[in-house]
Amino acid sequence: MIPFRRSALAAFLAAVSLSACSSDSSTAPTVTPVIGASATAVSSSAVKLSFSSKSGDTGYNIERAEGAAGTFAQVGTVAAPASAGTVTYTDANLKVTTVYRYRIITVRGTTSVASAEISVTTLAFGSAAADLTTDITTSRTLYADTTYTLKGFVHVANGATLTIQPGTTIKGDYTILGSSLMVLRGAKIQAVGTADAPIVFTSSRAAGQRQAGDWGGLIIVGNAPINRSGSVEIEGSGTDGQTVVGGKNYQVLYSGGNTPTDNSGELKYVRVEFAGFAPSLNNELNAFTFAAVGSGTKVSYVNAVAGLDDSFEFFGGGFDLSYGVAFEGEDDQFDMSEGFQGRLQFLISYKSTNVPIRTGAGSYATDMEGIENDGCNGSGCDLGFDTAPFTQPVVANFTLIGPASQSITGAGGGFGMMLRRGTGGYYVNGVLARYPAAGISLRDAATFARAGSAVIPNLATADLAVKNVYIAETPLAFQAPSATQNAFDLAGNSITHGSAITAASLFASIPATGAAPANGETAFDFTPATNSPIATGGLATFTGKLAAKAGTAVVGTAYLGAAAPGGAKWWQGWTNYVRN
Amino acid sequence: MRLSLRLLSLFAYAAALTAPSSLAAQDRHGRIVGRVIDAATGLGLPDVGVQVVGTTQGTATGVDGRFSIGRVGAGTVTIHLRRIGFTPKTVTGLMLEPGQSLEQSITLEPATFRLTAQVVTAAAERGTVTEALDRQRNSTGVVSAVTAEQIQKSPDGNAAQAVQRVSGVTVQDGKYVFVRGLGERYTTSSLNGARVPSPEPEKRVVPLDLFPAGLLQSITTTKTFTPDQPGDFSGAQVDIKTREFPAERAYSAQVGSGYAAGATGRDVHLAQGVGGERFAMVGNKRALPALLREVGNFQGLNLSQGDKNLIVSQFRNAWSPLAATGSPNLNGSFAVGGDDPLLFGQRIGYLVSGTLSQGVDTKNDQVRALADRGTVKGSTTEIDRFTGATTSQSVLWGGLANLSTMAGRHSRLLFNALYNRSADNSTRTERGSFENEGIEARIQRMQYVQRSVRSVQMGAEHAVGEAHTFDWAVTDARVNRDEPDRSEFVQQIERGPSGSGEVLRWLSTGNGGAVRTFSTLRETNREGRANYQLVFGPAGAQHRIKVGGLVRHTDRDADTRAFSISAPGAPDSVRALRPEQIFDGRFATANSHVFDIAPLAQGGSYGARDRLAAAYLMGEWAAARWLRVIGGARAEWDQLDVNAVSTLGSPLSTAKRWNDLLPSLAATLTLPRDQQLRLSASRTLARPEYRELSPIKSRDVLNGDDVQGNDQLARTSVVNLDARWEWYPHANEVLSVAVFHKTFDQPIERVYRAAGSGTRTVFYANAQRAQNLGLELEARKSLSMVADWLASVQAFTNLTVMQSRIELPVNTQASATNLTRRMVGQAPFVLNSGLTWVSRSGTSSVTVLFNMVGDRIDAAGDAPLPDVIDRARGVLDLSLRLPVSGALTARVDAKNLLDAPYRTTQGTVTRESYRIGRGVQAGLSWRP
Repeated sequence: MIPFRRSALAAFLAAVSLSACSSDSSTAPTVTPVIGASATAVSSSAVKLSFSSKSGDTGYNIERAEGAAGTFAQVGTVAAPASAGTVTYTDANLKVTTVYRYRIITVRGTTSVASAEISVTTLAFGSAAADLTTDITTSRTLYADTTYTLKGFVHVANGATLTIQPGTTIKGDYTILGSSLMVLRGAKIQAVGTADAPIVFTSSRAAGQRQAGDWGGLIIVGNAPINRSGSVEIEGSGTDGQTVVGGKNYQVLYSGGNTPTDNSGELKYVRVEFAGFAPSLNNELNAFTFAAVGSGTKVSYVNAVAGLDDSFEFFGGGFDLSYGVAFEGEDDQFDMSEGFQGRLQFLISYKSTNVPIRTGAGSYATDMEGIENDGCNGSGCDLGFDTAPFTQPVVANFTLIGPASQSITGAGGGFGMMLRRGTGGYYVNGVLARYPAAGISLRDAATFARAGSAVIPNLATADLAVKNVYIAETPLAFQAPSATQNAFDLAGNSITHGSAITAASLFASIPATGAAPANGETAFDFTPATNSPIATGGLATFTGKLAAKAGTAVVGTAYLGAAAPGGAKWWQGWTNYVRN
Repeated sequence: MRLSLRLLSLFAYAAALTAPSSLAAQDRHGRIVGRVIDAATGLGLPDVGVQVVGTTQGTATGVDGRFSIGRVGAGTVTIHLRRIGFTPKTVTGLMLEPGQSLEQSITLEPATFRLTAQVVTAAAERGTVTEALDRQRNSTGVVSAVTAEQIQKSPDGNAAQAVQRVSGVTVQDGKYVFVRGLGERYTTSSLNGARVPSPEPEKRVVPLDLFPAGLLQSITTTKTFTPDQPGDFSGAQVDIKTREFPAERAYSAQVGSGYAAGATGRDVHLAQGVGGERFAMVGNKRALPALLREVGNFQGLNLSQGDKNLIVSQFRNAWSPLAATGSPNLNGSFAVGGDDPLLFGQRIGYLVSGTLSQGVDTKNDQVRALADRGTVKGSTTEIDRFTGATTSQSVLWGGLANLSTMAGRHSRLLFNALYNRSADNSTRTERGSFENEGIEARIQRMQYVQRSVRSVQMGAEHAVGEAHTFDWAVTDARVNRDEPDRSEFVQQIERGPSGSGEVLRWLSTGNGGAVRTFSTLRETNREGRANYQLVFGPAGAQHRIKVGGLVRHTDRDADTRAFSISAPGAPDSVRALRPEQIFDGRFATANSHVFDIAPLAQGGSYGARDRLAAAYLMGEWAAARWLRVIGGARAEWDQLDVNAVSTLGSPLSTAKRWNDLLPSLAATLTLPRDQQLRLSASRTLARPEYRELSPIKSRDVLNGDDVQGNDQLARTSVVNLDARWEWYPHANEVLSVAVFHKTFDQPIERVYRAAGSGTRTVFYANAQRAQNLGLELEARKSLSMVADWLASVQAFTNLTVMQSRIELPVNTQASATNLTRRMVGQAPFVLNSGLTWVSRSGTSSVTVLFNMVGDRIDAAGDAPLPDVIDRARGVLDLSLRLPVSGALTARVDAKNLLDAPYRTTQGTVTRESYRIGRGVQAGLSWRP
């Protein structure tokens, strides 16, 4: 009612002003309706009206109604041209694939008459096509009605914001090797989709023909600190040299940041599929790369699908991520290193089989893990594994399900969590299942030292702790201790090794061991099954350094894993289980 | 009767043919040949009158100072030499045997140096050590030489071993020459004056072990620049001269056999070959399979499982070395040379020679590891330690044909052809662990590298009157390096419960489990050069003007392909098979879903085209009796294009145009009592190696690092300052002290860049500057001053002490590198010492040689790690030469008597260490 009243007022004012203007008119005011108007959907959100004006008309009011039964309201007016001719009007900001009815009110002096109704349906998402070939140096919006194709290495440059509308699809060109989107330090990405309209990054190949490594990936570079000194470049960047040339794979550095609160924008309801091309040998790109990304950045509801390298890799920095899902990543599902400080809650990974790799894109990893966290590794680790800041994330409510076969994880892989090279962090309320080597590997003395070299770390002082984790369908809870290998006490840390318990029995519904889910499988239900041991046993109250670190971003739960018993199936609808 | 007489005469004729010496013995005459050299310049002196004293026989020397006097009565002969402007010289005591040709080279000194006539004995005048010192003494700049005679006395089998006897020379990996502690890029190599192309894909360097010692006349190392030398000379120019012809027809042959303590008769592992490896002639048998050549880097292909199986089955099914017993080393050579009227009475000097050596060498107690950063800054911890052994079967053969003839009295034509081929067929088996994967593994590698050099040169020297000489040469040289079908196979070592029952299983995931690599490199050098020299002024104080130019076309084509075979998801039962079972075809059938294959060395191929033109003008001015000043400048115009295709498929080309003017000024001061002082200042340059300019990133398949060139590289400009004092107390003796200082503007250094996940990239960057300061001492002295009976013992030593400092800019280009340090490759000292005893007759000799190179940086540290240091290592060699009977001489060489381990370290971690073992070699030489 309110809009109607407002438009009526507008119509009244218009009529007054038009009548005032038309006082000079000598033409007799015999008004006739517009005949033969056309309405064309030009995109998922815009309709173009076109009709002929008649000499003597004052103007035209455009009225719109949504759906078959909606009421009409005026959306705009067009003044009549001086001489008769074609009039066009574009109505924007409409809903996707929605029926709209239009009518045109011809106004002549004080009189008016409506045309017949014309019906039109807005186009589906991505109906138009556009290429992204060069760097984005000024702020730009990508619209949902357009399918964009990344051709080459497209960088969002310092100072620019790339806004992506919900429902937008961006494809990495299969033929231009390694095509990637890199959001550079100082730039922002605002990719906020919805559960109904997620933002999708995928291969340019047709569904059914897509393979891991078809294109590069999504790389976000921030200005937060890392623990390596000197200049460090994004792995795989720089194959086209060091000179900045838009669209080329020039060297991109992520080291030297000093703003822990840096803001690289927001990702929400974003999927990255079939990424992971290796621009140089062994340097595969990840589906999601977060390099030195700071805490001002918001990331939630993100899904990596069939990437050739890691599903999510975090190099230093630190920010909050919630609701992350990794399907069939070919290397580690979550990989944190170089002083990463983020807080992650509600993580799912499901790995069952090797997804075919694009020929020549790279190779399967020799050490695929669920979580692989390193303290510091490589040049610039001035104190070796003791280089500060330590990699010290909070990882809570994770459900990581592996492929149960070492022939898939590679000889060095098959651990639910590989904690090594001096990493710290708090890993709580998790479920690890179907890992062929062991649930957890606590490698090297430096890592154990993070836990105070205690088999039951004291949360008041320890920088590393694993608490309240359920390990199922996995031969060992911890990799067997040796000179360099350590293990935590199970009971003292509420770690349960359900050696005879199958993964399938823990959850409401997951595919059987060794079975590859069908393409488009939607029946995953990671909710604890009735009477599942993971429905309880969570660390509900955080204390000590864990509480301090977690703050309000991550809270304790009474259950283990990524889904609350009877809670929302938050992964449904916007994620996509697909292998080709 | 008539018939029998005819038979008899035929028989006599045949006897005369088969026993020419006995027939000649009845002829009581001999021939004297030789060469007269200007003691001040080292150049051949034409128009010197050579007279046999007491006879009317005599001649005048030709264009290069050569002379020949036939039918001289046998016995003790004295000759007398005279030329206007030179001190006459009488050489006594030439022992001329009937029917023999006697070779005698003589130096003449300008009359200004010595006014009274000189009388020397033939023995004193002879000897190529003198020749080497003469070369040193007479050259305009600072040079050091090793001559055929010195090589003969040493156990050195090839040019690389011989050249390390030169002061300031370091030889790395038994092949690559560093002079004065400067990296390979600062040393250029030439063969008979023409640049030798480089057969190495990643660097510009000539492995000098390609040249067998038997073919060498001398190796001259020139350390100061004069404008008639190439401008990309900054450390040294190493010129290898092949042997020239002897005066009379001479044959020589040599055979030898050796025992290597680590290999001969021991159990070793030898590579599986295709036949032909033993003589470095594998042809196409190990070539990249045609199907793989066709599919290229696989991009844009969507291979089916059947395609993959087909491709995998193309490779030779050879992955494991075979057990064998090490065979003894063998070598042999022959040479024939002379100066005979071969062509319509035209005398042609010729030398044709061939050499072959092969052997089995081992590197035992081999350890390699990586250093990781320790928890105290700069400290190191050891990771990825592997231990094992390497066995290599090597072969080196080659030959040369050198011809020269006089065309009239003023021209000499020269033709040199050389062909060498070498191969190294090696296996390496090692066991250890990978830190990243946390697994134990066994690695088996078989690698076959075949190199060849072919060089053909034609040239001439013309002398017009006394004042003008003109020489030119055209050279076509080609080198090939092939590394066909290298294999690597990695197995995970899995143990049963409580460490029992070890099982080897193929590391079938990742891209390092089963790798085949094929690489080839072809480089051709076509060079033309011409020099004109004008000599004027009074004898002994002559001035010279020299102009000349050079055009050189270099083309290089490097191609590297590598393929990784994996078997994702393969069960343990498959992985536990031996590699030859896995790849015997059982998993390549239509229904097999085992193999995956991926190309690895994307972007490792490139081509280069280098066009160089140069011209120079230099003058040598005899300012005073005691002062010669040499000055001039050289201009070089270089057009260099490097083309490559990046991993991502885009062609990248780099074009560089460099025009340079390189001035030089030197002075030689002749001081009293046979002393000389040389001063030199020059500007030279160093250009980047071709690969270094290509901005593509690729895997260096030889070392496993990611390498990326830099198209922004500038060439390095070098300012060289040298001073050297020399004293020649007697023939064969020298004492010298030299100081040198070099300032490098924008030197090119191999650096590291860091990337995520602890990976790194090798990169090339211009450092801001570097300084190199050094002191060189050289002494060669008879021990007669100690005791008379020690007169035939000569001691020699040379020591170079140097320091350098390089400063890299703090920027992204060398982010992960230790920024301030010594230059890579620079040793703080290089020491060569030795003692030689030669019997009075010259037929027996004993030589002891010691060589030591100080700790040098092998690679700069990958921050904050310290630099990788190649540790100092002393090498002691002993050689004996003994007459056996008649023309037979025996040689016994004991090598590497200390057997000190090769060791490179990084902090507390031994990065690599092995021993090559002691060796003894015995042989016979026959010189009728």
